[in-house]
Amino acid sequence: MAGFDFGRIITLSLFAATLRMTTPVLFATLGGIFSSEVGIFNVGLEGMLDIATFFAVVGSVQTGSPWGGLMYAIVACLITGFIFALIHLELKANAIIVGLALNIFATGLTRYLMVEMLGATGFYQSDLLIGFKLVEIPLIKDIPVLGELLSGHFPLVYLAFAFVAVVYVILYKTPFGFHLRSVGEKIEAAESVGINPQKMKYIGLMMSGLFCSFGGAFLSLSYLNMFSENMTAGRGWLALAAINFGRSKPVRSLVACLIFGFADALALRLQQFGLPSQIVLMLPYVSTLVVLVFSAISDERKKKSLAAKQRNTKTMEAVAVE
Amino acid sequence: MAEAIAVQEIIKTFPGVLANDRVSFSVEQGEIRAIVGENGAGKTTLMKILYGLHKPDSGKIRVKGDEVVLSNARDAIALGIGMVHQHFMLVPSFTLAQNIVLGVEPKNKVLIDEERVETVVQEISEKYGLAVDGSKLAMDASVGEQQRAEILKALYRGADILILDEPTAVLTDMETEELFVMLRRLAESGKTILFISHKLREVLAISDNTTVMRHGKVVGTVKTSETDDCELAEMMVGRETIGGRIRQIAECGQPVLQVENISVLDSRDLLAVQNVSMELHCGEILGIGGVDGNGQEEFVEAIMGLRPILNGRILVEGVEIQNQSTRKIREAGVAYIPSDRYRSGVATEALVWENLVAGEYYREPYSKGFSFVWKEINASSDELVKRFQVSTPGLDVETGNLSGGNIQRLIAGRELGSNKAKVVIASQPTRGIDIAGTEAIRQMLLEYAERGAGVMLLSADLDEVLALSDRVVVFYEGRLSDAGYWDDDIRRRVGQLMTGGEGGCNDESVS
Amino acid sequence: MMNLSRKSALNERWKHMLLEVLTQTANYAVILLLSLLVGALVIFASGKDPIASYQAIWQGAFGNPIKFADTLDRSTVLMLSGLAAALAFRTNVINLGLEGQLYAGAFASALVGFSVQGLPKHIHIPLCLLAGIVAGGLWGLPVIILKLRWGITELVTTLMLNYIAIRFSQYLIAFPFKDPLAPMPGTPVLEATARLPKLMKGSVLNIGFIIALVMAFVIYWFLFRSKIGYEMRMVGYNKDFSAAVGIPVNRSAVLAMLVSGALVGLGGAVVIMGFFGRFLGSFSSGYGWDGMMIALLAQNHPLGVIPASLFYAALANGALAMQSATGVPQTVVVMVKGATMLFVTVKVFATFFKRRFGKWLASTSDA
Repeated sequence: MAGFDFGRIITLSLFAATLRMTTPVLFATLGGIFSSEVGIFNVGLEGMLDIATFFAVVGSVQTGSPWGGLMYAIVACLITGFIFALIHLELKANAIIVGLALNIFATGLTRYLMVEMLGATGFYQSDLLIGFKLVEIPLIKDIPVLGELLSGHFPLVYLAFAFVAVVYVILYKTPFGFHLRSVGEKIEAAESVGINPQKMKYIGLMMSGLFCSFGGAFLSLSYLNMFSENMTAGRGWLALAAINFGRSKPVRSLVACLIFGFADALALRLQQFGLPSQIVLMLPYVSTLVVLVFSAISDERKKKSLAAKQRNTKTMEAVAVE
Repeated sequence: MAEAIAVQEIIKTFPGVLANDRVSFSVEQGEIRAIVGENGAGKTTLMKILYGLHKPDSGKIRVKGDEVVLSNARDAIALGIGMVHQHFMLVPSFTLAQNIVLGVEPKNKVLIDEERVETVVQEISEKYGLAVDGSKLAMDASVGEQQRAEILKALYRGADILILDEPTAVLTDMETEELFVMLRRLAESGKTILFISHKLREVLAISDNTTVMRHGKVVGTVKTSETDDCELAEMMVGRETIGGRIRQIAECGQPVLQVENISVLDSRDLLAVQNVSMELHCGEILGIGGVDGNGQEEFVEAIMGLRPILNGRILVEGVEIQNQSTRKIREAGVAYIPSDRYRSGVATEALVWENLVAGEYYREPYSKGFSFVWKEINASSDELVKRFQVSTPGLDVETGNLSGGNIQRLIAGRELGSNKAKVVIASQPTRGIDIAGTEAIRQMLLEYAERGAGVMLLSADLDEVLALSDRVVVFYEGRLSDAGYWDDDIRRRVGQLMTGGEGGCNDESVS
Repeated sequence: MMNLSRKSALNERWKHMLLEVLTQTANYAVILLLSLLVGALVIFASGKDPIASYQAIWQGAFGNPIKFADTLDRSTVLMLSGLAAALAFRTNVINLGLEGQLYAGAFASALVGFSVQGLPKHIHIPLCLLAGIVAGGLWGLPVIILKLRWGITELVTTLMLNYIAIRFSQYLIAFPFKDPLAPMPGTPVLEATARLPKLMKGSVLNIGFIIALVMAFVIYWFLFRSKIGYEMRMVGYNKDFSAAVGIPVNRSAVLAMLVSGALVGLGGAVVIMGFFGRFLGSFSSGYGWDGMMIALLAQNHPLGVIPASLFYAALANGALAMQSATGVPQTVVVMVKGATMLFVTVKVFATFFKRRFGKWLASTSDA
């Protein structure tokens, strides 16, 4: 390819952009992990992000602060998660269908409320909308390479990555986390020790909402201080892929999110140079499929060898007894 | 010694069956009590009552001398009763230690005190002599180790009375030895152990006393040292002979079904069927006895092509069918009435005719080319419903609306209706069916055999096996033993083989 | 025991059908009313007039013959997508990849449409449609291979393939197949011989609608009157039972995915050849997803997909008119759609009506 200069594409700012573009998917992924660990494949993450994106804007306008916007988003998403759980667990509707319905409902609701509450169609922008401000970290910003990479991000970016550790601790270091995971993995074990699966599922779904609210607030109150239709751009679906890729583990899923974020940032950069960004944007999805296949193959091999081992011990003992 | 746990006149009924009929016994502290009985004797129901999972209709439960009421498992745990189920309740991705403390984790404010978890588990492991590597993941642990973890789980919650449901079902001989050493130690330290088993050799090895149950009643409690497997087996299955039956078994050239040295894995990839061989002759009803879970189900599924065979051959009238598709096997002349009729017998949301025609729909005259021939389907379905007396409002009704008995007749109609089957495998065919239905289905099987087919009857109901079979074989731990032809003594022989005996008991050996 | 004489058997069958018809009619009537009520409440809450709004929707969708025809046209791709989803659901295959298969079919048909010249109409059109069918079907193949061989859940693989299809086609129209004259990113215009003939002057309605209608009946026949359709339904009802009785389970799952993809691929072809005239980067306003909703609304019955897609099409076309007439934003219809889906899935009304009517019918037979 003529005139293809890697040096202008792969720059430090690309990696900084990666961190920024990873953030919304990461939040959604962390939220999705909670419902996945409790046994529910949450197809409604996209809808939750949508709702968060919108209410963050409303909150910011009404309270005059981005943090106020975040608060609104959190409340809205917690309610959404609760309703999801209610319909799925009480009315016994299939979780996939509820999730899909939620997505559709969210789209319609946010567009409708945009007209009613903000008086705009298609997108909303206003001086009343106060977004987050970039944060410079005092000492780090002066370090040559790390400075540009780590400093000068929106606060929610830092929160997202910090949350990975928080989620890890919650899931693997607290009793609550164990209870939650036992419900998703082997519900009889949970019931036999007195854990209430229903309660755990409600909490799991509401935590999905909680984390998505951060992701949505980031989308509309950071880089772009606006709300527009389809702002979420499929990040809820990417989150599902990341969760699957990462087998519901926070750190592994983070890796997937970083790949997605990098692909996003790279695609944007490529587009500026007139190069096919679409191929790059395809890569996260292709890589997910590839990883899924390799995981499945290795799982199969492990299972067969473990069973063979147990069988051999049994027959060997039988022989020994004889 | 003091009484640890006792039941008095416990009665428990489920729809249509009296599971526990005035059951009474008392267990002392520090005693190892075995509860034995064949399928349906009521032992599991009783244990579930003791663990608070079922509420008895009437009767009393005493724990440590005081009368108690158990509403749920938590009540039982609070009273010091712990239960180790036959199918383990461990979370595979947690460590054994994490599983043991699940639900009652030692905390350091909000976080789990991981060190404490380790020390606590190590402490109780050493205290009770149950070697468990707490740091191992449950899915990586051997079955024996998993079981020890389950026992520790109960002990950690303060269990003084341990209930074990078929604890040796999944253990190797060596692991069983180890388990018994541990149980001895626990009993000596003051714990009370109740365990359910159908393996009499082990019961004799480890228990102090044995309570035998049959048809929901307690037949008796004996001191283990004063009895032997022959006596216990006889107590378990009784010795009444069912009225003699003289059947003419037709002579024909070769067996309709030959199984040569097959081995089959179960769903956990463990060996469920080990080097089993048998023959089924035409016109013969072969009863397959054995306590649930000894490989019979997997054996039958393997014949039907629903499970792969590791080695060996299966032949229907001399034609090899092992590992073929289920359709080919059925075409070779094998009919199958599965044990779980709602799971494998019918599609409850499908219509009656759709279920009736499920075996033959793809052949003429029921279909031509791509589509169905309605006249034939309707005529055939009508005829089957009439002949097998399936009580249904119509052919276009959702099958799930029919009663259990009628669904079973439907299945029988589908499988037996064409009169073309050479081998009929009927698994628990009258389980949960009313008397009229049971009679009807037994009659159908008899007629089919009379016409020259070979019938393989699997039933957990020993009476049924003995009432219909000409010959009986018994599954025990994946292997098949021959109890021989029906005679006055068959019941005793089957009882012994079912419980791991050799079949060598006779009148002299019974004390 | 029941003595089924010829006459009483027929009588029973009619009674059974009557019960079904009554139950479903009442069921959908209630659902429709309740959902419209939900929408009306939302409209009312924002201070607008619900009656006028609904009237505007009706006018916009069916007001005059041309509008009626346009609504029918809009229902075309929805019908095909709905049939695809219904077929998959019936076999218990969760095909979330309809959108991607739609794009695959749409692009393939466009490709054959603009790159092949000199063919007569009656060859070119079927060829393009075939391209759409094959592309849509093949796009579902990887999903089923991964599921059968390694047990990888189709929930994730279909989603991934969606995006791959969409992005890849976007790449194709941005680089290799770019039409420099196009106002929006898209392929060159299809040859005239690849365009579907119109049915009505002044309206966009074309024979695609007839194709969709025919397919609804074909799929109905396929599911309920053919051997393979029977197998697919039985597998969808109960996999264990199907295996025990010899029905080829895997084959049915594979077919479900392929035929589902083929149907929605056909939908993509029809909408490109009939409406757009070229493949546009974002031609779909979520037809794949709509198809799923429609299938659920129709309780996965192929013939029910027809009124369900008409309903969706009417709402879509009418909403625009409603917005200009009463100022109520189009998105209210989304909430009506969501409400109907919810009520249908929850099945509350259906069971209620079935019991009521069942009792009534039983009492009439005793009399």
